[in-house]
Amino acid sequence: MRVLAKTEQWSDMRQRYKEQTGHDEYLWQGSGEPDAEIQRLEQVLEQFRATSLAPPAFPIVDYAPRRSSWWRTITSNTWVPRFSAATLILAAFIVALFVSLREPTSPRGNNGWSVELAEAQADTSLTAGKPKRKIQMQIGEAFETNGISRANIAVADIGRLELEPMTRLRLLQSTAGRKRIALDRGTIHVVIWAPPGEFVVDTASAVAVDLGCMYTLHTEENGNGLLRTTLGWVGFQRNGQESFIPAGAAAATYERSGPGLPFFEDASEMFRSAVSQFDAATEGSAQRVAAQQVMLREARPRDELTLWHLLSRVSELDRQAVYRRLSALTPPPANTTREGILRLDRTMLDAWWNALDLGDMGLWRHWERSWTGHEAQQK
Amino acid sequence: MVTEAQAGPGDSDATFVRAAQQGDTEAFGQLYRRYARMVHGILLGRVRHVEVEDLVQEVFLRALPRVRELRDTSRFGSWLAAITRNLAVDHYRRSQIRPERPDDMCDPDQQPAKFNSSSNRKAAEVLECIRSLPEAYRETLILRLVEGMTGPEIAAKTGLSPGSVRVNLHRGMNQLRQKLAHGELRDASVSKNRTMV
Repeated sequence: MRVLAKTEQWSDMRQRYKEQTGHDEYLWQGSGEPDAEIQRLEQVLEQFRATSLAPPAFPIVDYAPRRSSWWRTITSNTWVPRFSAATLILAAFIVALFVSLREPTSPRGNNGWSVELAEAQADTSLTAGKPKRKIQMQIGEAFETNGISRANIAVADIGRLELEPMTRLRLLQSTAGRKRIALDRGTIHVVIWAPPGEFVVDTASAVAVDLGCMYTLHTEENGNGLLRTTLGWVGFQRNGQESFIPAGAAAATYERSGPGLPFFEDASEMFRSAVSQFDAATEGSAQRVAAQQVMLREARPRDELTLWHLLSRVSELDRQAVYRRLSALTPPPANTTREGILRLDRTMLDAWWNALDLGDMGLWRHWERSWTGHEAQQK
Repeated sequence: MVTEAQAGPGDSDATFVRAAQQGDTEAFGQLYRRYARMVHGILLGRVRHVEVEDLVQEVFLRALPRVRELRDTSRFGSWLAAITRNLAVDHYRRSQIRPERPDDMCDPDQQPAKFNSSSNRKAAEVLECIRSLPEAYRETLILRLVEGMTGPEIAAKTGLSPGSVRVNLHRGMNQLRQKLAHGELRDASVSKNRTMV
């Protein structure tokens, strides 16, 4: 009896498998045993099918080379930003040395920052009732530009901020070795010549740490935003999720998930589109897997930046494919192992990052240690 | 100038893409014929049906001046798909319309007024159900069920791997069946209540 029951069970399973694969075949390529429900859906939905497949009259496109601008000329040469970054960092160290020697003689220290209003309106929050062109911004104060005003802020002695219209920021801290603001909304252009890690911007979804550079940061009130680096590189982090954005690259940040994958802005449209799809999709979703496949397929050697970050944001199973692709673009250094990278050994990941020649991870780790110590000291 | 007759239907898209990159609008027209259905399907999953036809043309007009930037000519389909998705997003931003895609059920009351006959209303309801699925499933199901493309064709056109398309079709269809069953149960419950009233 038991054998008979088992045989019936197998027979039933075979039949169900046959039905399933037959139906799958129909779904897959419209052949095999028809699935009545799919056929019904096809009939019902046919009315939405594209009706006109005749192309319109396309205009003749003039493919004449674009007029070159000085900005494009500079940014299209990879050695120029690197040379500029190196010069800027060297200058930053010299200035920092000068500032640190001079600081004890300054009685005011770094308590306030000088704000210079350009195209200023009297109703910017800090100037309400006192329409001056130059004001001093104190710790704890907020500053806000309106719809048509812009402002320049001298960041103590270490750099400058330019505020676009509709930007609101607060000065949180201005001490030797640490300058910190919160960007509540809007866009700031940042130029910093202090040593890496001294200037920090809080947003609702991530903390941006200057690592010797020039960058633009935009954030919405809901915390979503975008960071684009022009020179040097910037660290972007929240709750241990880190994104490093070198010159020519950008990264979005999301209120829900923190810093997104960084990408070079000259990557293909498809690659960039896949990066935003990956960032926006929920973990483990089919959409995220599909975006990941596109990234692996479309990655140029330069997109190793994105793939390195992708390693720590995919499941262990998917990480193997990312490892293979990244290894093909930039072989991992000798002091790393496949197993180590797959288990996300931080030292090995840092070593691979350094091999990409996009910035020295030692700077970031140094900042992390000093920041953790500083936060603990404040508590 | 490369025409379909000269190139032959079996010729790769790369032939047309290379010609289009040299400014051959006729070759670009051939690419339009080959890919309009895919673009239409991708848009249909994201924007209102009445706006899709116009946007199909806008996608190609947006792609035309950029086609010369396409380095790998064999990837035209996936490149065009990415442009299409981006345009759909831009379209929402421009029109300040947020997609209304209920996650748990399909609501026939959300359909446009033009779908007032029962068969049209049913079709709109099914489409809305598909639109409420996750993006990867939504796109492949629309290309299969609405545009009549086969799985291998979807993979070849969109640049996704055949395995991904197969998985998306299978899982998407399962979810669609569940949603439709849920919708029908809800309809049955509503009509029962009405009868009782």
